[in-house]
Amino acid sequence: MARVYVSSIIDAPVAKVWAKVRDFNALPRWVPAVRESRIENGEPADKVGCVRDFYLQNGDHLRERLLGLSDYDMFCTYSILESPMPLTDYIATLRLTPVTDGDKTFVEWTAEFECAPELANDLVTGIGTNVFQAGFDSLKRLMVG
Amino acid sequence: MVRIVKSTVLNAPVEAVWAVLRDFNGHDQWHPAVADSIIERGYPSDRVGCVRKFHLADGSELRELLLTMSDADMAFSYCLHETPVPLLNYVAHVRLAPVTDGDRTFWHWESRFDTPPGRESELKTMVAEDIYQGGFDAIRAHMGLGGQA
Repeated sequence: MARVYVSSIIDAPVAKVWAKVRDFNALPRWVPAVRESRIENGEPADKVGCVRDFYLQNGDHLRERLLGLSDYDMFCTYSILESPMPLTDYIATLRLTPVTDGDKTFVEWTAEFECAPELANDLVTGIGTNVFQAGFDSLKRLMVG
Repeated sequence: MVRIVKSTVLNAPVEAVWAVLRDFNGHDQWHPAVADSIIERGYPSDRVGCVRKFHLADGSELRELLLTMSDADMAFSYCLHETPVPLLNYVAHVRLAPVTDGDRTFWHWESRFDTPPGRESELKTMVAEDIYQGGFDAIRAHMGLGGQA
């Protein structure tokens, strides 16, 4: 089991950050690597069980299923159904927690998956850096002003 | 039932902050409200079930019981046994998490308690500001960290 954990602080109130990331179909609006996304079968993006079908800037195609969404706890859990990455059993959670001291947001993004042992380091670094941290850096820019 | 949640970010690695906070008897070293503290019966301060007996600057005595302690989660919980301040059924949870972006620490401190009727607001403010926020600021000073992250 490989595990990715990346966390950061966004200098904006938690409600504002959550409004941005709770939309399961909104990756192109805040994750730079994602070019376009749609929800299959015309379902609402906050329907648990819905599937987002999306493309990266490099043309890679992925499908992910929404497993859990909580406006109360401010987290979103999803799994990968299809991707070009050599991994299986991928489940990830994006979670927000308020920082009361300064009215900021603590963001945590975790993923667990199975893969060939010799590929684990590269996959963990690639996902953590190019997707999760890149997403956080983008949120920081979007939340300014 | 009053509920308090306070959280902050410290400019220090989570291991360094946990090393300070996991000592259940160490609060008199850094919290300005605590004058002195001992663990009863000579127990180690990381023995779940131990009781810390401490005095505030004004001389009032409190006893708190360690309910849980986890190095894996960097978290502990405690409850108030005896206190001259009417915080009833008080249970508090402290947990730390790493902020990998910048090698900092997220610190979450929450509690629930009852109060005599009419004193909810006063006691909530006292715990949230004097104890929790005051504790955040005191740890920054104790560890020689900069101001708000």
